Amino acid sequence: MSLNVIQPRPRLTRRELASIVLSMSAACLVGAAVLGLVYLGTDRYRRASAAAAERAAIGEMLGLDAGARLLEVRQYLVPGRRQIAYRVAPYGAASGPAREVRFAFDGAVSGERDLPVATPPGREWRSLGRMFVAARAGRPAGFVVQGETRGYKATIRLFVAMRPDFAIADMRVIEAQEDPGLGAEVAQPWFREQYVGRTAEEIARLDVTRDPMPEDWKAALVALARRAPDGPARHGALLRRERTRPIYAVTGATISSRAVTEGVRRTVDHFRRRWWLLAPHLEGLL
Amino acid sequence: MSTVLHPGPRPGAWQLIRNGIFAENPVFRLALSLCPAVAVTTTVLNGLLLGVAVLCVQVLSSVTVTLAKGLIHPRVRIPVYTVVIAVWVSCIDMALAAFTPALYAQVGLYVKLIVAFAIIISRLEVFASRQPLVPSFFDGLGMGLGFLIALLTIGAFRELLGNGSFAGVPLAPGRPLLFFALPAGGFFSIALLMALFNRVEQGGRGGAAGPSRPTGGHGV
Repeated sequence: MSLNVIQPRPRLTRRELASIVLSMSAACLVGAAVLGLVYLGTDRYRRASAAAAERAAIGEMLGLDAGARLLEVRQYLVPGRRQIAYRVAPYGAASGPAREVRFAFDGAVSGERDLPVATPPGREWRSLGRMFVAARAGRPAGFVVQGETRGYKATIRLFVAMRPDFAIADMRVIEAQEDPGLGAEVAQPWFREQYVGRTAEEIARLDVTRDPMPEDWKAALVALARRAPDGPARHGALLRRERTRPIYAVTGATISSRAVTEGVRRTVDHFRRRWWLLAPHLEGLL
Repeated sequence: MSTVLHPGPRPGAWQLIRNGIFAENPVFRLALSLCPAVAVTTTVLNGLLLGVAVLCVQVLSSVTVTLAKGLIHPRVRIPVYTVVIAVWVSCIDMALAAFTPALYAQVGLYVKLIVAFAIIISRLEVFASRQPLVPSFFDGLGMGLGFLIALLTIGAFRELLGNGSFAGVPLAPGRPLLFFALPAGGFFSIALLMALFNRVEQGGRGGAAGPSRPTGGHGV
């Protein structure tokens, strides 16, 4: 076996150059083809498991049992006609009917129709997010609404779970690029559970403080997040004291804490107004 | 002692596999890819997943390179190896994301890093690009198995001592020696296991082989 001793290399001939270009290009092309095939083969399963994880998260946030029905509502902006369109369908359904309701910007209904679930949205429609409505015995049992807010660096995406009276049932940060150890802490149980149990009116005037969080409150929030047996009781006892107080910011991440609080506030506020418009059109779907 | 790098009689399949697991174990002997070996081995399951991923990538890349070695211009062999590894890593990555989403959420980041694992590209350069298909396959298999076994051992050691559990099943209350689950503890775990590995291996040879040639670690 010869050792590769470093020595001046001879200049490349044209032939060699062509062969290098050719072999690199061939390697990349074959690689791209293999990747494409594997993507086609696995994408269906990846989507299925992502959907299953999302469904489990929604069920967990609302504390749903197997008997509850779940509807998915997609909201779109139809710029050409200056309308907002809602597509409502059973969650995860691949076939069957979906309901489309359109509103003008002032809230007046401009159309309602049933169409197959698989109908794609119009080409120029802009997605405005998704929400999920849980229903039991024909009545809403809870909502999970996707919201977003401007974080310290990039958009933070949230899931806000609400009870039928719009009080907060749970909150999750589903996508954020905040700094690890600082802003990213807003996804921690002790922070996110602070919103739980507050009514929509309290959320609407919620403030953020830099004061340190009382230790007993933090312990109760963590117990609640871990689904400890005494979690709800401990949380309920302290919530009476804390619900009039502001959200305790993550130390060193007041901007991220304010951003999340603002995101929750806006998500709840928008959703309440949308729901009163939309609810009368969901006859037979709940 | 003759290893694969030192020519002798053509090694058989079993010999190549044993070479990867013992004589040239990627982690305990060659000390390659120590960084991921520390990062992911806080539990047995994480180690298992990354180990299996590395095994698949190593075997697939070795076979690909040995089949294509006549077509690769020597001046661009390293970029071509990197493309080959990156393709197989991406395939494994997509497969894991599709079929084991829960585990993938924990170690997905490290799976992508396999592209830069020193052990894989070094086996392509020193073995697969110079040997025929069958030995290359078994060399890849042996190296992959060696890495997998090393990760499993380190993962079991650290999970047992750091969390008092094995593969998620709690065996001891509390966290006996949390230190071993932390990154610094990872280095100590590898050092302790490496010493044990050397001791057992030299004991097995009856001490006749003498101290093995020291191999410097210089890879990610």
